[in-house]
Amino acid sequence: MLIEEYRLHAELFGRERFLAFPVLIALLAGGGLSLFALTGTAVGTLAAGLHGLVFFFGLQVGTIGLVGRDALRDVLGDVTLLVFSARTLPVSRRRLLGVFIWKDIVYYLCFFLTPVVVGFVPVALTGGLTVPSLALLWLTVAGTFALGTGTSLALAGIATQNRGVLVAVVAALVAAVVLEPAVMVQFTPYGVFVDPGVRTAATGLLALAVVLVAGPLSFDPTSGRALRRTDPSRFRRLRSATDVHTARSLLEVTRSSGSVWKVGFSLGVLFGVALLLLDRLAAATTLDPSGGIAFGTLLGLGTFTTYNWVTQADDPAEYLRYPDGLQAVFRGKLLAFYACAAPFGAAYLAAGVLRYPAADLLVGIAVFPLVALYVFGVTAYLTGFSANELLFDTALFAVYGAALALVSVPLLVAALAHGTAPVTSTAVAVGVAAVAAAVGAVLAVRAPRRWHDRLRR
Amino acid sequence: MAAIEVDGLRKEYGDVAALDGLDLTVEAGELYGLLGPNGSGKTTTIEILTGQRTPTAGEARVLGTDPVTEPIEVRRSIGILPEREDPPSFLTPREYLEFVGDVRSIPDIDDRIAEWADVLDFRGILDTMSSDLSEGERQRVMLAQVFIHEPDLAFIDEPLVNLDPLMQSEVKATLREYCADGNTLFLSTHFVEVAEQLCTEVGIIADGRLRTQRDPATMDDGLLSAYETEVAREVSPQ
Repeated sequence: MLIEEYRLHAELFGRERFLAFPVLIALLAGGGLSLFALTGTAVGTLAAGLHGLVFFFGLQVGTIGLVGRDALRDVLGDVTLLVFSARTLPVSRRRLLGVFIWKDIVYYLCFFLTPVVVGFVPVALTGGLTVPSLALLWLTVAGTFALGTGTSLALAGIATQNRGVLVAVVAALVAAVVLEPAVMVQFTPYGVFVDPGVRTAATGLLALAVVLVAGPLSFDPTSGRALRRTDPSRFRRLRSATDVHTARSLLEVTRSSGSVWKVGFSLGVLFGVALLLLDRLAAATTLDPSGGIAFGTLLGLGTFTTYNWVTQADDPAEYLRYPDGLQAVFRGKLLAFYACAAPFGAAYLAAGVLRYPAADLLVGIAVFPLVALYVFGVTAYLTGFSANELLFDTALFAVYGAALALVSVPLLVAALAHGTAPVTSTAVAVGVAAVAAAVGAVLAVRAPRRWHDRLRR
Repeated sequence: MAAIEVDGLRKEYGDVAALDGLDLTVEAGELYGLLGPNGSGKTTTIEILTGQRTPTAGEARVLGTDPVTEPIEVRRSIGILPEREDPPSFLTPREYLEFVGDVRSIPDIDDRIAEWADVLDFRGILDTMSSDLSEGERQRVMLAQVFIHEPDLAFIDEPLVNLDPLMQSEVKATLREYCADGNTLFLSTHFVEVAEQLCTEVGIIADGRLRTQRDPATMDDGLLSAYETEVAREVSPQ
């Protein structure tokens, strides 16, 4: 699988571009972490943030379990994964998925996590971390990623068995994290980094071991194998409420594994991590960040995953056979994108009222859809319907990252400066988001022509 | 009037020339078969003629329209069966055909769906998710979307793949009937017997060039013999 994965990416993007990816990640991580260090953020806080982000990233990667369910169940369908090249061998699907996840962890360790840690080295050494601590950090960051991936997969696995149990497990985890965050940290690899020792190593790796075993074991790719029939008027009702492309995209999202809840899960994880990071930042510095601007920005950026969900079931080449053109298809995708992301974004911003003033969060209500439109436009223009190809195509990733940074950096600076200049930071945030949305709209309009021409080459 | 006219069509993918000066003419009402080995340029030809791909050089007209400069116009009046493509996994056949009906602005789509579900025998699975259908059932749904808007011209790439023998006979009869009504069919295949049984005119393509174009009924030694000669290699009967 490792060899296949390497050759696949080398073939898709070119060997040099692919191998340059970790270098770019190290540079980006180093630059970003240095900027935070310049604001006076302590190295310990940066390390905590790093673990938090890596956990979030692991959770996102672990949602492969959702795609895996569809692909395993839909043996001859159009969703294919590398893992299924081995489906003709006498190996159980459960074991294949387990190996697939381990392969992903090794892969991300080499091409993403290690470069991030390397980028952290200058800041860490300057800030007082020792070389052994850095080596430990590398291990705990890798463990945290595996914990995130394993948690997602275990939840997807539980979902194949019993939805009620899934809801209970998620509720218990959220309650534990909210009520006893310090205790929960002890059951993560980050706990080992904070307080290295035999006892913390045992407790810190416990949760990791549990999810890595429970994920593949609970995963039942054959669940729901019975022929699925559906209400014949459902599509018609949706079509009467919107256009045919939006209706189709919405049905595809709701009928794929995880339904529309996977959108809520992705944005929810992002919201949770953002909440924790803002708390840590406020505690470690004199800053009084704006929750509204920060959440609106981060949730808007997080709609990248929503874009991925609304386009994952389509092959754009299909639309070249129809007479209405790609313009109508992208317009339908945009409406489906908002229909999926907007309710969850609004709900999380509303939940932020527990921690931040309502007036502050209203700014987030304005910023979120504007940033989301920018994300849609940039993603549509650069990647078409293959948003996942951003990963490991170094040039594309660099352009995409720069495009998002162009908007997110001033917005996050505005969020951090809110305590000292609330009116100005709010005006800057809304202004930047509005300009970004205008750019996103232009790109969204131009994307169909670009992809129509590219697909016909 | 010719339904399809192709003049010096060339298509390069990097250093590889998929089509190398293809010339052909298909008259209206013909059941034309483009026969050739794997990689000979059949699918690329269909993709260019249906406006899905642009040629490197050469000209083409489909029902009097240029598919390169006016692809939408061409797609409006034709039907297309691509090779190896299934209906969308998360839609049922009924929903998929309703979707096609919408994008093609077919007014009486319910009646058409019922009609084609009967012709191709898939009424019983109209409301089953496409991802749960067999290969043959999916192929029948894909065939229905080709003809559901009653196009004057259809391009079909390997239409009999995955169909059982009885359904193959049904589909062959349907294709003949479609052409008997004055419509034109452009069929791509690498199965010699399919071309021989179905087509009124067969073009043999190899290395991106049309080697010969004849009515199979007029071939004294049979189509396989002509195919072997033109492609210049041993071919086993399919």
